[in-house]
Amino acid sequence: MKILVADDSRVMRQIVIRTLRQAGYDDHEVVEAEDGRDGYDKVRSENPDLVLSDWNMPNMTGLEFLQALRSSGSAVPFGFVTSEGSAEMREKAADAGALFLIAKPFTEESFRENLEGVLS
Amino acid sequence: MTAPRDTGLRRRASDRPPAVVDLLDGDTLLQIAEQAWLALVGEDEVLVPLPAPLPADTSSSWVEIVGPWTGAVVLTCGRDTAAELTRALLGEHAPAVLEAEDVDDALGELANVVGGNVKAVLPGPSVLGLPEVGATPPAGSRADTRRVAVLWRGQPLTVSVQSPLHTERENEVPL
Repeated sequence: MKILVADDSRVMRQIVIRTLRQAGYDDHEVVEAEDGRDGYDKVRSENPDLVLSDWNMPNMTGLEFLQALRSSGSAVPFGFVTSEGSAEMREKAADAGALFLIAKPFTEESFRENLEGVLS
Repeated sequence: MTAPRDTGLRRRASDRPPAVVDLLDGDTLLQIAEQAWLALVGEDEVLVPLPAPLPADTSSSWVEIVGPWTGAVVLTCGRDTAAELTRALLGEHAPAVLEAEDVDDALGELANVVGGNVKAVLPGPSVLGLPEVGATPPAGSRADTRRVAVLWRGQPLTVSVQSPLHTERENEVPL
């Protein structure tokens, strides 16, 4: 299984990857993307099984990234990992086709709860 | 361009944008920062709410919030503390010699997470900006600033939710 982690912060990408490992997903290959545009390109070239994306990013936001994927016909499972978890954003995320939204700061439990069933 | 003439009209109190001190208390701000530290820096990394003077050489990171309340969430600490925070955030991936870019990234991301959670408790709808790092941005008005001072690993650090400088100018009454 392959997971694409898109975040413009290298430090946050490392924390997301570390938390994935702590949550028990340590045998998955991880691909990193620097923003939504890079993520979009890498979904096409790497064909991941799951995308974990930040929302607020330069060049292409996480929401635009998800919308671009769905417009292009990609149905790759997609979840947000973002510092904003308001009801409004959760609704926008769900409307665009996201499976879940994990708000930062997150714990390994919140990763397990949301990823269970998506990565089996 | 000439300055607009004073019409003599005064704003009613209800027209004024809300002050952050009426929207966010210090305990809530401290809890938001503590949760960010425990989850991102480490589960044993506590913030002790004790004010102490910041060193002369500081780093700041901040995110802007634009909405019914507009301002910035600013994190400030000494440069050495910023480097130590970066090492803690990177964990086993911390390089022997830290790049300035990594420190900016780490400090910016902490401000981003704290800012995102501050935004969630302020009235909406509002928009969160991307993190910025640099010299501490000046606060506009003490009456529109909520600030907590803490110690992390014995080093001082402040989290300030503050209005931008221009707000005070807008509220000045022409003589």
